[in-house]
Amino acid sequence: MDGRIDLSVVVPVLNEEDNVEPLYQAVADALQGTPWSFELLFVDDGSTDATVDRLRAIVARDGRVRVVRLSRNFGQTAATAAGFHHARGAVLVTMDGDLQNDPADIPTLMRLIGEGYDVVTGWRRNRQDHLWSRKVPSRVANRLLAWVTGVWIRDTGCGLKAYRAGVIRGLPLYSDMHRFLPALVSVTGARIAQVAVNHRARRFGQSKYGLSRTFKVAADMLALKAILLTGRGSSALFHAPALAAGILSGLLLTAGFFDGDAEPAFMLLASGLLAAATAAFLATLGVLTQLVQASGDFRIGEFLSETERTVDHEQRTLLGRLADGPGPRHGTGTGDRGVDPRVPARP
Amino acid sequence: MIREYRRGLDAIGRPYEIVCVLDGEYPEALAALNRVTREGCDVTIVSLARPFGEAACLGVGAVHARGEVILTLPSYPQVPGAALPRLIAALDAADMIVARRAPRVDGLLRRAQTAVFNGLVGVTLGRRFHDLGCGVRVMRREVAGELDLYGDQHRFLPLIAHSRGFRVKEIALPQHPDDRDRPSLPPGIWMRRLLDIISIVFLLKFTMKPLRFFGLLGTGSALAGGLLGLVLVVQRLLFEMPLAERPALLLAVLLIVLGVQLVAIGLIGEVIIFTRGRRTSPYRVTEVIGR
Repeated sequence: MDGRIDLSVVVPVLNEEDNVEPLYQAVADALQGTPWSFELLFVDDGSTDATVDRLRAIVARDGRVRVVRLSRNFGQTAATAAGFHHARGAVLVTMDGDLQNDPADIPTLMRLIGEGYDVVTGWRRNRQDHLWSRKVPSRVANRLLAWVTGVWIRDTGCGLKAYRAGVIRGLPLYSDMHRFLPALVSVTGARIAQVAVNHRARRFGQSKYGLSRTFKVAADMLALKAILLTGRGSSALFHAPALAAGILSGLLLTAGFFDGDAEPAFMLLASGLLAAATAAFLATLGVLTQLVQASGDFRIGEFLSETERTVDHEQRTLLGRLADGPGPRHGTGTGDRGVDPRVPARP
Repeated sequence: MIREYRRGLDAIGRPYEIVCVLDGEYPEALAALNRVTREGCDVTIVSLARPFGEAACLGVGAVHARGEVILTLPSYPQVPGAALPRLIAALDAADMIVARRAPRVDGLLRRAQTAVFNGLVGVTLGRRFHDLGCGVRVMRREVAGELDLYGDQHRFLPLIAHSRGFRVKEIALPQHPDDRDRPSLPPGIWMRRLLDIISIVFLLKFTMKPLRFFGLLGTGSALAGGLLGLVLVVQRLLFEMPLAERPALLLAVLLIVLGVQLVAIGLIGEVIIFTRGRRTSPYRVTEVIGR
């Protein structure tokens, strides 16, 4: 397999011995007859069952399949990052390894990328999951995320997404960041499309998620907000709270100063001084943040220009292939479903 | 001591070198080592200008070592040299093998210390080793190259290696008879060990997510402060207890302020990690199958 590959399907798997074979079949079927060359890249995130042996068997049969084995369980973000780093395609499609996504949706995503979007994320129509433990928290999280990032992503948790490789390569991926990837990417100026995708109930194996993540997700969202604000060069992260603390301190001090009664005045003055100290502390941290940002390797402005350069190039090749004629699979009339017009082209 | 180790190493039948790192200037030890060198053994001696601690010594030793496999040995005998071949042979199926002195021949107090320390580390970090105090470890060169150690972190080497994705295993080796007579640690050291554990927990579990750590502490503190304040206000309104002259109010305000500061520090940590996130790889690949 030499030369450029159009599409890398990246699938992190963890103990999915019953799912990998059907998944491979489904992806191969879905992309059969489409104009794109593809590779299917499994990332084994430290499986302890027969997953790796089954994957080996698939690789032996089909040269388009590759497997990256991680030395232990690193979590989905790290596995996704490993997949991205090893993928050779111009477009990277991520999918869950549990067969809940339908590979037949991949051509739809690809076509939207071909139309000029940088990121296409799916949202799960008729989601087949438990209502209270999965769907409701997920909806709350999506609302919160939209509020934090200013980009409305309908279903952040949907595993089926497509990225132009150039858009995603420079982004640091660690901890649980994969969840926020579309939001993070959108801030760099990428154009996002959202499309309804099929969602099926889990057939084999165990779900690896539960409700216990609330605090972590909340902390991560706050962190994301901090990263986005400073990344945009704004100093609001610390200076806004510093200002609030400063005003509070002013009020308390004034109240204490004019209060004739000695005891309450002491309390008001003491609290006022504490608030003033907090304001000073926060303002200092704000300056420190600017220093950190300026000395770091990641600046959104730089990243943006780099993105645009690579996009131009890939755009032409992909559109070229599209002009060769669409494959039979993606002429099934589902192409335009649910593309969300509300997503801004440039936030 | 070196003679004993050499007997064990000679038994493996593969070429080896010995790197001795002197933590500070020790003329007598240097003289003794020079005598060993004259016996025709491949010894490199590195002498540090002042004491930097064991972790730094291990780092320096690894830099000067030329072997594919690096075996670290403590400066006093912990396991008999004759057991070394077994340790090195075990490296076939792992990236790092740590020795565990078993059965222990020393006193009850030392054994209890070891058990408590290792148990605590095992509980907080989720990976149980039985004898982190044992300095007899063997690792592949790449492992040593990737771990940068400082302070008292050498003790946690197996855990750090494990978290970086290396395969670490533990094997039991007999304890050296001379190891028995070592004095047990004074209680002052226990406190330091405890602090070591806290810092290593932070390092391994929260380095990439500082806000989860500071956020938890900060929210806890702010919540406690808020609750305390609420209680005081309720008491003031319902029971007419004076609000202002109670120091508890100041405590409540202080707790809230502390909470804000902790969260703020967590946030700045996040920005630091993100802007430098491309420098560290969050995963380790053992194998790529396929072309």
